[in-house]
Amino acid sequence: MLLLALLLIPVATAAASFLVRRRKEMEAANLAGFGLVFLIAIALAAQVLARGTVSLANSFFYADALSALVILLTALVALVCATYSIGYLQDDQQSGELGDDPSGKEQLAQLRMYYTLTPLFVFSMMFMAVANNLGVMWAAIEATTLVSVFLVTFYGKVTSLEAAWKYAIIGGVGLSMALFGTLVAYYAGHRLAGSDALAELNWSVLAQHAQLLDKTSMRLAFVLILMGYGTKAGLAPMHTWKPDAYSEAPVPSAAILSSAMLNCALYGLIRFYILTSRSLGPEYPGRLLLLFGLLSMGISVPFILVQKNYRRLLAYHTIDHAGIMVTALGLGGALGTLGLMLHMTFHTIAKSLLFLCAGNVRQYFKTDLFSEIKGSVIRVMPLTGIVFLMAMLAIIGMPPFSLFQSEFLIVRAAFDGGHLLTGVLFILFGTGVFAGALLHVGGMILGTRGNTPVAPHRPWRDGSLLTLAAALVIIGFWVPAPLLELIRGAARVVNGK
Amino acid sequence: MQFGERIITLMAALVLVLQIAVVAQRWIVTHIRIFAIQSFLLAMIAATIAWFNHAPHIYIAAALTLVVKVILVPIFLERLVVRMDIREEIKPIINVPLSVVIAGGLTLLGYVVAESFYKQNEPGLGHNELAVAISLFLIGFFTMINRRKALTQVLALLSLENGLFLAAISLTYGMPLIVELGILFDVLVAAMVLGILVYRIRETFESMDVSRLRRLRG
Amino acid sequence: MMERIIESVAQLFLLLVLAPLVTGVIRTLKARLQTRRGPSILQPYRDLLKLFGKGMVIPETASWIFAATPWVVFFSTILAGLMIPMVAADAPLGLFGGVLAVIYLLGLGRFFLALSGLDTGSSFGGIGSSREMTISALAEPAMMLAIFTVAIGAGSTGLTQIAGAAIGQSWRFLAPAQMFAFAALALVLIAETGRIPVDNPATHLELTMIHEAMILEYSGPYLALVEWAASIKQLVLMTLLINCFWPVGLQPTWFGFSALIGIGWLLAKMLFLSCAIVLLETVNAKMRLFRVPELLAVAFTLGSLALVSTFLF
Repeated sequence: MLLLALLLIPVATAAASFLVRRRKEMEAANLAGFGLVFLIAIALAAQVLARGTVSLANSFFYADALSALVILLTALVALVCATYSIGYLQDDQQSGELGDDPSGKEQLAQLRMYYTLTPLFVFSMMFMAVANNLGVMWAAIEATTLVSVFLVTFYGKVTSLEAAWKYAIIGGVGLSMALFGTLVAYYAGHRLAGSDALAELNWSVLAQHAQLLDKTSMRLAFVLILMGYGTKAGLAPMHTWKPDAYSEAPVPSAAILSSAMLNCALYGLIRFYILTSRSLGPEYPGRLLLLFGLLSMGISVPFILVQKNYRRLLAYHTIDHAGIMVTALGLGGALGTLGLMLHMTFHTIAKSLLFLCAGNVRQYFKTDLFSEIKGSVIRVMPLTGIVFLMAMLAIIGMPPFSLFQSEFLIVRAAFDGGHLLTGVLFILFGTGVFAGALLHVGGMILGTRGNTPVAPHRPWRDGSLLTLAAALVIIGFWVPAPLLELIRGAARVVNGK
Repeated sequence: MQFGERIITLMAALVLVLQIAVVAQRWIVTHIRIFAIQSFLLAMIAATIAWFNHAPHIYIAAALTLVVKVILVPIFLERLVVRMDIREEIKPIINVPLSVVIAGGLTLLGYVVAESFYKQNEPGLGHNELAVAISLFLIGFFTMINRRKALTQVLALLSLENGLFLAAISLTYGMPLIVELGILFDVLVAAMVLGILVYRIRETFESMDVSRLRRLRG
Repeated sequence: MMERIIESVAQLFLLLVLAPLVTGVIRTLKARLQTRRGPSILQPYRDLLKLFGKGMVIPETASWIFAATPWVVFFSTILAGLMIPMVAADAPLGLFGGVLAVIYLLGLGRFFLALSGLDTGSSFGGIGSSREMTISALAEPAMMLAIFTVAIGAGSTGLTQIAGAAIGQSWRFLAPAQMFAFAALALVLIAETGRIPVDNPATHLELTMIHEAMILEYSGPYLALVEWAASIKQLVLMTLLINCFWPVGLQPTWFGFSALIGIGWLLAKMLFLSCAIVLLETVNAKMRLFRVPELLAVAFTLGSLALVSTFLF
């Protein structure tokens, strides 16, 4: 029941936003819809904690702790971004970014597109998280790409088109490889469920009988899936679409892309990892994951150090964190998987917060480049400045923030498991990212130079910023017990029952 | 069944020849039509399998492929070409004779990979069809890198999907119906989305040449 | 021995008589397809007759090659033609190497033709020769590969054996290796016989002619010989193409009633191929010269695929 509601409400929200006439009604529909989705996600998490797994329609829909965590995080981000986008899009409309049609119809059409596509985007992500069938899961991920392409081209500039094209093509090619991998996985297991053809691609069935899967095929399948879903997650060397897409999309969409959709791509990867590690043992997938993860972390370092555009900096940061999470998955074991789940949670909050702050800065200063801002954001927009700096410190792993704990856990997992080189490289790359990000962002935020006037109050945006910032700080010190239980449950799913 | 196998092998060979022809030719409209013919042949292969194995659900997959990939997508793309008034491909990055030879090499690679997959006494077709499928996949990849017109890249992406469809059929007589449904739906929407993007690129850049998409760097 | 001589003579006669007819049919059909009336089917005979009666003009700068070439071309083509199974599976002549000898005999003719083009000292001849050599340099490997595929399938390069292996196994044609080889050979056929889209046999424009440029300086009986040889070469290649892959109607021997049936089948097959050639010529435009390598690269790839796939199946 809950699962159905989880899926139907975003669709209804999209339909409502499409049909209503005025901006305020669209905003209200979105807020209401996402608020409901968030509540349902919490309820679902509670149910999963109580019962272990929730399934519907003969196991077509299936939710365990991992799905519930991803759904909860997605719902949270969606709600916060919906709140933020109200103020953000109002500002855009006033400043003429959406078009200068005097009657306002063109702007309204743009807004309608945004408010319709975002719930559809969230719908496809939810669908992916509850789909049991691997092929349906693939179709849902492909749907997320197709929907978000138009979000990337929202501003209609020359650069947005370029970004959207790269996103669409690289994503499309990557997902074709993932489809191939799904196909090979199907081949590996297609004798298992007897005559029920549909169930043969069901993850729950395959996971149970993972020992019987054909080993050579699973090897090939995992490589293909890693490259395919890894493209979607932004792992190097398939990451080139990320900086462009994140810097051209409207800020709330970029926030959702960088946190929720990253989680979904990783979710797909994790599901296959579970199958592969149960069938072949964790060394083979682990090694591949470590390779790609460390590569992603390594590639992001130089790009962050010489970055000139703060939204692209955040994008490279996301690549770095995708690498961290994939490394954690590759390390495996109790510590590694717990670190992964914790990191996923914390990163979602911190990264979306960062994007929202960046949006504030951009809308006020009207530029994306560090060199043009020159500093003193903290004087001009005190709240944004403080939160931005804090979130940045958090995400690069400064104690006492939460990400420090998860990264520490991952490093411990590395040294405990004997992956000394991994641990050393992890610390090295982390330091590089730390230095680069702090240098650029700190320079941008601190200081008292410049004579830009103090920015006015922005209720919607500041409100959402504050909420997330509060969540980030609190979570650093105290994770609510149910959430922690959910995280542990998710880690257990990955580790193996 | 022998007769069926022969016909299927024949059709698969035709698909491969057409794919090599795609690498060799320059006209975008011809590319679209060759894609339509290839999809038609694939649908016929699926239908033949359904006939000989008495598996009615494969008929549905074949019919859907027919509707989506033979009729809807090519019509949509051809209309787009007419609207944009660009018919010919510019010079590819690797010249045509060398690309054709590379395509031949990729076909051989496809055969080698397919050999390692093939096991006796399993449902599914022989390794010929799987080899053709993997070759389609590889040659599609190659075309995507080699060509610079945006619409050609879209067609290359679609032929990747074709290769996967054939691979699915030859390994396991196709995937579960709902998965096929989902995939075909995605293909249709992807073609439309990419088509719209291509149209807008053409409008903005006055050309479909993707090597002009270079402003975002670093 | 006696039978062999009779067979050779009969096939020789068939070659000489049938070749201009095939050219005429192709020309007329093409005209009809383009809604023109076109010449009559027997026009090539009349042309040959006329040419044999005319006087010759020979350039001063030409050497003995110019005089020798028409004979070399004519006789090498006839010799190659005698080695092909046209009516019966048993070819009248079986030189060492079988199909390789055929290819090289045709190559010999082309070599001399190219030399004679250069020999005249005119620039048109030079153009024609260099273009022809470029095309043949690319077409021959493709042809070799396709022929080897067929030969491997039959276990020998002797044409009699190749045709014999294909008789009675009509499904064999559907194997991918055979199909690829057929496609490669068909493309090479277009290049070797100088048909659109590779070369236009009816043009005398500097921009477009290849074969015509090489023979531009010939007149009178020499021209008749060269043109006759060209049509015989076309007939030989068409027969080779069809009889290697789909030798329907090839009789076991030349003698008796079966010869008539064989000739009937041959005419039918030539008609079918002529229609295909006409269709191809009408639908396509002549390719620009530097695009011809692309077409031949396709033929080459198909040929190599054909060869490799005989080992993979």
